[in-house]
Amino acid sequence: MAYITGASMINIDRHYDKSIRRLASDAVFKLDSSSVENVDYVIVASSISYLQEPQLDLASYIASALGLRNARAFNVEAGEVSGATAVLMAKSLVDSRLASKVLVVGVDKLSNYPSAVTYKHISLLNDSESESLYSIGLGGIAGILMRLYMETYKVDRLTLAYWPALMHSNAKLNPYAMLRFTITPEKVLDAMPIADPITLLDTFPIGDGAAALVVESKPRDALAEIVAVESAVGYPSITLSPDPLRIDSLELAYSRLTEKLDLKRIDVIELHDSYTISAILQLESLRLAERGKAAEAVANGYFTVNGDGPVVNPSGGLKARGHPIGATSVYQVAEVASQIAGIFPGLKVPDAKSGLVVSVNGFGSNSYVVYLRGVE
Amino acid sequence: MCAARPESSVGIRGWGVYIPRFRISMVEIAREWGWSDYQWKALGMVERSVAGPDEDSTTMGVEASINALKRANINPSDIGAVFFGSESKPYAVKPSATIIAEVLGITPLTMASDLEFACRAASEGLRASIGLIASGMVKYALVVGSDTSQANPGDVLEFTASSGAATLILGGSSGSAAYFEGSFSYITDTPDFWRREGSPYPRHGEGFTGEPAYFKHIVEAVRGLMDSLGLKPSDFNYAVFHQPNGRFPLKVGEMLGFKAEQIKLGLVTPIIGNTYNGSALIGLARVLDYAKPGERILVAPFGSGAGSDAYSLIVTDSIDESRERAPTVDYYIKNKVMITYSQYSKFRRLLRVIRE
Amino acid sequence: MLSKSPPVVWRSRIYRYRLIGCKCKNCGRVHYPPASACPYCSSRDLEEVELPRVGKVLSYSIVYAVDSDARERSPVILGLIDLGVTRIIAEITDANPEDIKIGSQLEAVFRRIGEDGETGVIIYGLKFRPVI
Repeated sequence: MAYITGASMINIDRHYDKSIRRLASDAVFKLDSSSVENVDYVIVASSISYLQEPQLDLASYIASALGLRNARAFNVEAGEVSGATAVLMAKSLVDSRLASKVLVVGVDKLSNYPSAVTYKHISLLNDSESESLYSIGLGGIAGILMRLYMETYKVDRLTLAYWPALMHSNAKLNPYAMLRFTITPEKVLDAMPIADPITLLDTFPIGDGAAALVVESKPRDALAEIVAVESAVGYPSITLSPDPLRIDSLELAYSRLTEKLDLKRIDVIELHDSYTISAILQLESLRLAERGKAAEAVANGYFTVNGDGPVVNPSGGLKARGHPIGATSVYQVAEVASQIAGIFPGLKVPDAKSGLVVSVNGFGSNSYVVYLRGVE
Repeated sequence: MCAARPESSVGIRGWGVYIPRFRISMVEIAREWGWSDYQWKALGMVERSVAGPDEDSTTMGVEASINALKRANINPSDIGAVFFGSESKPYAVKPSATIIAEVLGITPLTMASDLEFACRAASEGLRASIGLIASGMVKYALVVGSDTSQANPGDVLEFTASSGAATLILGGSSGSAAYFEGSFSYITDTPDFWRREGSPYPRHGEGFTGEPAYFKHIVEAVRGLMDSLGLKPSDFNYAVFHQPNGRFPLKVGEMLGFKAEQIKLGLVTPIIGNTYNGSALIGLARVLDYAKPGERILVAPFGSGAGSDAYSLIVTDSIDESRERAPTVDYYIKNKVMITYSQYSKFRRLLRVIRE
Repeated sequence: MLSKSPPVVWRSRIYRYRLIGCKCKNCGRVHYPPASACPYCSSRDLEEVELPRVGKVLSYSIVYAVDSDARERSPVILGLIDLGVTRIIAEITDANPEDIKIGSQLEAVFRRIGEDGETGVIIYGLKFRPVI
């Protein structure tokens, strides 16, 4: 059994004055100093930093920078699912008794170059043997998927604008969020087109971030238990997927989780809304809405605190909390664990006992689900 | 007439062209640089083509070659020589011929090289191919003339220097759309137009490109051809000359005794500009788009530096079957989008841009 | 960028130039670009096949946030194109955004798709354009 006994985050922003190591230490030093004593392993989840602030064997240098010179350390790079992969590694080390305490540090840097360069780096999350070779960014694929969704299910653009509006309204309360202001759905449509039909307000902001988790075998003072981490790889490109509007890898990862566990109740979900359409397709892949109906459910408030569904992305999501690529799912796990412990400093989900983190690379080349539960 | 000329065993199996869809008008260029309209009217020009931002002489050469291959209807791997004539190569060192050969599936058992002789490099490839095929060394040869011609911004050359490509696939005369009767080359060292290594734009001797260069070399080549074949201008149904502007071909035709009606069909420069290595060959392709079996065609490319080749071709009964297999020159002439001078500058990278 | 290394550009040239994909001899399905195993049934018994050069638009996006090396072509139209046997995502060239609709017929065309600055290798490959 693996428990999260500590979780910390820094605010996501363009931290021009902070190196990758400094971002990591800022997050870790927010934990109680006692909680990083006797750490057996440091696992560093990072992705775009390898292109923006290159450092190979990053984990050993970060461990030294944290003053954890005698610990063991390794990196996990898995694009947008790096953080969830690191959490799986931490749980595995603890479950297998190879370690009793593991520090997971998600840290990533996106602001070292102008946005055009950063988008080029981000495009490498796509298949480099097809899309990346043609300089096709994530935004273009998201635009293709959103138009296909609108056309297939006859959903209008305004209905799809309620998601970013909801994310901004949630993020306003989150001290770690990058975009803490509200927007109306109409404003999403009026925003600058990035990859029509997608506008600037359908996508995540470029920001740096770091979050840390302490994973231990003992439940004492734990925020939550990591009950299970599941994942699956999918098609490398939406061109190969039999139905591009289904995220096969997420459906498989989630069914692997539900086969193992009785998930009668999920109170809170943090999912991977890199684009509005990503959120919509993930909600449908998790069967929280029928196909073609998720946008309408979002617009009707189904996923809010007052709605009938689980509360989705009370943090503000990738859209408004931010998306420091390799660190993002560490944020998500920290947020859900904090919700379950009742200590999340932003929008609180009352009486949350269980929660789910969904992490997806690109549009489904790899998907992770992390299920957390309160400690009895 | 000499029956044993090697040319007569060789013919054109397929022809294809490509003209990018963008056009800039003479009025637009004149307005940008403050030229009087007399300047372009004297050149007999209306508008000219501009390659798009993702095009270059290699991509246009591929397009023209695909069209030629459709008409030739042969197995690409039977092509044993690929010649790419251009003065606007995307790589100064590294052949475009290999790229075209690879795209079309001609590689690896082939000759391939890029030729440079201003506007007549492809014509040299044509004459060399006749020799290769007549000697039995190769079965088919593919000759591309393609240019995204450069002009110093503000120079009069900007009115005419355009983009386009033509490909001819040569093979044995039997089954060809037209076969060669004879050919004749005339070459001297004449610095009428040049571009130094590393220089972005060519320079030219203005009037010096005319009498001692264009006119002298074409007249000598065509006269040499007609003398050797015992032909006179009235024996030809069509005459196609290199066409640096709208006026020169008519004038050189007149000097040689050709009538405007013989020249008109193959004169495309006034509406697409001077496509350099594509110039006379696109004119020839347009003639092949219309010519009837038995008709005789004169083709005389010219290249600065300087030299001209003259060819006589006889159209065969096979021409009709291959004609429909690919878009005609007229299709490309009609398929056009007018652009501004600033779009032209952007497309042809005349602006200094720092890339992230 | 790694994708502009000469060996990388060189070894992928055939499938960029000629639209060569793979057909699985076990399940019969086609994928592009060629992989070592069938993405559908995992069979390693594959044969290279030339894909149709004509297809229709399933969806598209008009991209304004483009790389600085694509600024001349902005906005770039990206299409999800149905080739019948499989699909491809490619840039649509020789078209204005208003020319493209879902269902538009497109054909493959050989173009420059990138370059390594002003002195490095030029990457050629296939884009799609409205059928001529």
